[in-house]
Amino acid sequence: MLQIEGLHTSYGGLKALVDVSVKVDENQFVAIVGPNGAGKSTLFKSISGTVQAHKGRILWEGQDILQMRASHRALLGIAHVPEGRQVFKELSVYENLEVGAQTPKAQKEMSHNLEQIYALFPILKERSTQLAGTLSGGEQQMLAIGRGLMSAPKLLMLDEPSMGLAPKVTDIIFERIQEIHRDTRIAILLVEQRVAEALSPCNYGYVLRSGQVAMEGSPDTLTRGDEMRAAYLGI
Amino acid sequence: MIALENFLQSLIAGVLIGSLYGLMCVGLGLIFGLMRVINFAQGEFFMLGMYGAFYLFGWMGLSGIMGPLLAAVLSAGFSFAMGWGVHRFLLSNSTGRAVAGTEGDGHYQQLILTLGVSLVLANGALLVFGNLPLSIRTPYASQAWELGPLADDGMLMFFFNQARVMALVAAVVVTMATYLFISRSRLGKTLRAAADNPDAATYMGIDVERAHRISFSLGVAITAIAGGLVASYYPFQPYIGLEFVVIMYAGVVLGGLGSIMGPFWGGLIIGLVQQLSALFLPMQLQNGTIFVLFLLVILFRPQGLFGKNVERV
Amino acid sequence: MQSLRHNIYTQLALFSVLYLGAALFVDDNYFRFVLSTVPIWAVMGISWNIFSGYTGLVSFGHAAFFGIGAYTVVILSLNFDVSPVIGIPLGCLGGLIAGVLIGYPTFRLKGVYFALAMLAYPLTLLYIFEWLGYQEPTIPMRTGAEGLWHMQFENPYYNIVVSVAIMCLAVWVSHKIHSSRFGLSLTAIKQNEAAAESAGLDSTKWKLRSIMVSGALAGLAGGWYAALVLVVTPNSVFGMLTSSQAMIVTLFGGVSTVWGPVIGSLVLIPTSEIIQATVGEKLHGIHGVLLGVAIILMMIFAPDGILTKLKSLVFKQRKDPNEQAPQVTPPATASGDSKRRISDEVMLDVRGISVSFGGLKAVSDVTFQVHKGEVLGIIGPNGAGKTTLFNLLNGFIPATAGEITFANTNLVGLKPNQVCRLGVGRTFQVARSFSRLTVLDNVVVGAFAKDDDDDVARQHAMEALELVGMAGHAQTLAGGLNSLELRLMELARVLAGRPELLLMDETLAGLGAEEVEVMLSTITNLANQGQSIVIIEHTMQAMVRLVDRFIVLNHGTVLATGEPTTVMKDPAVVEAYLGKKWVNNATD
Repeated sequence: MLQIEGLHTSYGGLKALVDVSVKVDENQFVAIVGPNGAGKSTLFKSISGTVQAHKGRILWEGQDILQMRASHRALLGIAHVPEGRQVFKELSVYENLEVGAQTPKAQKEMSHNLEQIYALFPILKERSTQLAGTLSGGEQQMLAIGRGLMSAPKLLMLDEPSMGLAPKVTDIIFERIQEIHRDTRIAILLVEQRVAEALSPCNYGYVLRSGQVAMEGSPDTLTRGDEMRAAYLGI
Repeated sequence: MIALENFLQSLIAGVLIGSLYGLMCVGLGLIFGLMRVINFAQGEFFMLGMYGAFYLFGWMGLSGIMGPLLAAVLSAGFSFAMGWGVHRFLLSNSTGRAVAGTEGDGHYQQLILTLGVSLVLANGALLVFGNLPLSIRTPYASQAWELGPLADDGMLMFFFNQARVMALVAAVVVTMATYLFISRSRLGKTLRAAADNPDAATYMGIDVERAHRISFSLGVAITAIAGGLVASYYPFQPYIGLEFVVIMYAGVVLGGLGSIMGPFWGGLIIGLVQQLSALFLPMQLQNGTIFVLFLLVILFRPQGLFGKNVERV
Repeated sequence: MQSLRHNIYTQLALFSVLYLGAALFVDDNYFRFVLSTVPIWAVMGISWNIFSGYTGLVSFGHAAFFGIGAYTVVILSLNFDVSPVIGIPLGCLGGLIAGVLIGYPTFRLKGVYFALAMLAYPLTLLYIFEWLGYQEPTIPMRTGAEGLWHMQFENPYYNIVVSVAIMCLAVWVSHKIHSSRFGLSLTAIKQNEAAAESAGLDSTKWKLRSIMVSGALAGLAGGWYAALVLVVTPNSVFGMLTSSQAMIVTLFGGVSTVWGPVIGSLVLIPTSEIIQATVGEKLHGIHGVLLGVAIILMMIFAPDGILTKLKSLVFKQRKDPNEQAPQVTPPATASGDSKRRISDEVMLDVRGISVSFGGLKAVSDVTFQVHKGEVLGIIGPNGAGKTTLFNLLNGFIPATAGEITFANTNLVGLKPNQVCRLGVGRTFQVARSFSRLTVLDNVVVGAFAKDDDDDVARQHAMEALELVGMAGHAQTLAGGLNSLELRLMELARVLAGRPELLLMDETLAGLGAEEVEVMLSTITNLANQGQSIVIIEHTMQAMVRLVDRFIVLNHGTVLATGEPTTVMKDPAVVEAYLGKKWVNNATD
């Protein structure tokens, strides 16, 4: 469904991604891990189009979207839940979710999707009229995920959902992400710094280091190798 | 008794003029309050609204008490188009995602560019229209509804200039319409989202540049309507815009950035302060009070009365 | 090295001769008048440039100073018969004082708020002077010897001479500022106020100095203008056009340059006057329209001014293939005895430092010590509070609890420039440079806090460049450096202040493998020569080789302290990076 081939991206004059190839099939859960500065967020931004890759291909359902404008890519069914949540602080919870539904299809299914999201994250229903900027970190993360789901996507990309959150809250978030994968046909591409949380629910994983794919494989393969340890801890 | 009458009459005048300042500030509020974009030419769009209303009034042969109001609203279409053009060709590179996160958020470029635009518009108007003061002449501008005589000795009388009252009504209606549009409609929410966080909005599939352009054009159009309404009772000439620039920014800052209704209240307060100061200050210093008020607000309470997050991430 | 291009006195003499020489051939009184106003607007432009051009704080209100200068001269002449010879210097002083009075409260505003506040001042003064009754004060015409004393010359040519003389003074002042620490400090503050503060520059002081000089020059221009035209109205001196024109001639000619405002004035003023004189009568407003169009076009195509644009087009930075570009030469690693000497002396003592942001404890009860001569690494997962900790050490954020002792002083509550002066230097992640200045000029700013003498500062800057291996690049324009060289230059800037303790914030981020090697050996050399360093980094392999000890932060608290190998095997640390489940599965 999503196939990235030999992607090269430069960001701020530095080589952020070098020859990266990643694949996500329908209904798959793919995780990308790697230490800070490895290029994980840049990869997402390259897919979404807010950073322009200069070489390689990004194939979505067979079509190369490398040259497509960022705001158009989102309408193809790729939902991007950004790093740091990035909710619309001055809009209410409900309005944030509403704005997530930009395509005609998403707008038709809006009430149905809204119900599902409220079922998944009851706290959002409770706080639906509150300004998003007043929510706690964990609640904002839930809102950001919900907002992404409102676009009725085929692929949900999550950029470091655990960042800045307490461990208990992170656990809840990851549980819900797994629920989404189980109960819907949405494919998930997860980028995370926290290795074990990311690897256990996924079908396939990639380790990114200094802008390159250092290793890939099933969760078992990755957990056993020394690459992981070397990448993160330097020994 | 006379003091009371003067005071209350000034209060009335303050509300009447304040409502128009309020509307003009609502327009700037969309641009500066919501999007944090600097438009130094906002006063010139106000002025264009006046001329637009004047000529529409004449050409369409409008009459009746609603005439000037209709002219004002219709002339806004022209201002919307002009705002669209200015944003599309001049401002795009200094606003929105292009400058998000850079130091100063492109404000320097916006300031200077729009200063240039203001010079072109004001002097262009001088070139095209000449500098003879104009105003929309209707009998209503010199008629007033009377309230009174009131009080025991039958001495209190209050006058409500008809044209100004109708302008107030129109201003309130347009403000309410703007509020409802921005806060309730789908497009309004999209505009707010694009202003709030351009990157996240792009991830949603929103065309942020277009959203900003719509907000900008709407903002100048609303200020232009205020201009058209003021034209129904106040004479104007091409340089009038500069008189109102500080009032507008003062009103938006006083009312609070990020809020839609806040600027309206800010403008209203300024109108009241201006009229009430006439009671004890000579004419030349009245306008000075606005500047002093403005300085006090930005030095001591930059978030205004109803402002939301002043700091944006 | 005082070539023709660089000697200001030669330039001034040349300009004066050419201008005054050309003026001799002008007979028409109106054009003579124009020629005498061109230098006045050049002075206004220079005045605006010295403040707004260098600090980046856009002022829409320089008319305030101009007007004060003008009215001082007029009122003194009208009411007290005081000659402009005395009035003009007083007007100049008035402008200076106004600069301080206006600047001090207004400096806490940024960006557009500042510009708008500055707009309000001259307009307020305009209304006040109207109210005071000075709608059209006129200096009485005087002839003969008395006229001479009152600067009213029978031959208008002498007006031009006076204007040029005043302009030369202004250009000289501007030049002195430009090439001294005054200009460089302001440029540094404009570029990155946080970094400048960290380098020891007191930005409020510099801004005040700048507005004082600026106000004085504008007052000077206004005073002479009044003596020249004899009639002053509130609108002609306090009005919007005055401020706009000062700004425009500078923007057009080139911001932050010495001659830019002069060139801008030479081009724009006569042009607009001619337009005004020829079609202005029939086409009212054409002057303003063209001015506006000029501003718009300039902002789009040459935002830094015509002069700057021309310079960059003519003097393109071409890499001469014959001339080998000087390489970065990292100082050779001291052979053999590279054992660092770490003393027991505690240089930095951090006890129970905490800070909260809106209820969230970003840094909580952190305690550690840095010994003299050691390299301490601060690591931890993203969001652990590392940069916040640095901001606390540096003075950007005030700690809500705890103490930081350095050089027998508690750093908590001190401003960044004070912390710097005590001996703490800090590098920043985003290395921003003054791309149009030389590497040496970029680096010397770091020495200003400690060295009062400009030459001594330059010397220390060169030494710093040698420490990082960039001495060969001293005269290269910073805009031509690659990312490694920029980082090294940034490091040199901090080293120029000879800090006792060096804080390095993610210096290796984004560098390629070879570049990391160069950076590492440079830092190692510094450490071997006794520099105490605290460094935040993510690139683990590099850190392990570089540091003597680690502190691991997570969620704002210290997880572990100690030698690299011990710390990295600590289960708590492994869990922080890789997660609980990893620790459980870990095969070791």
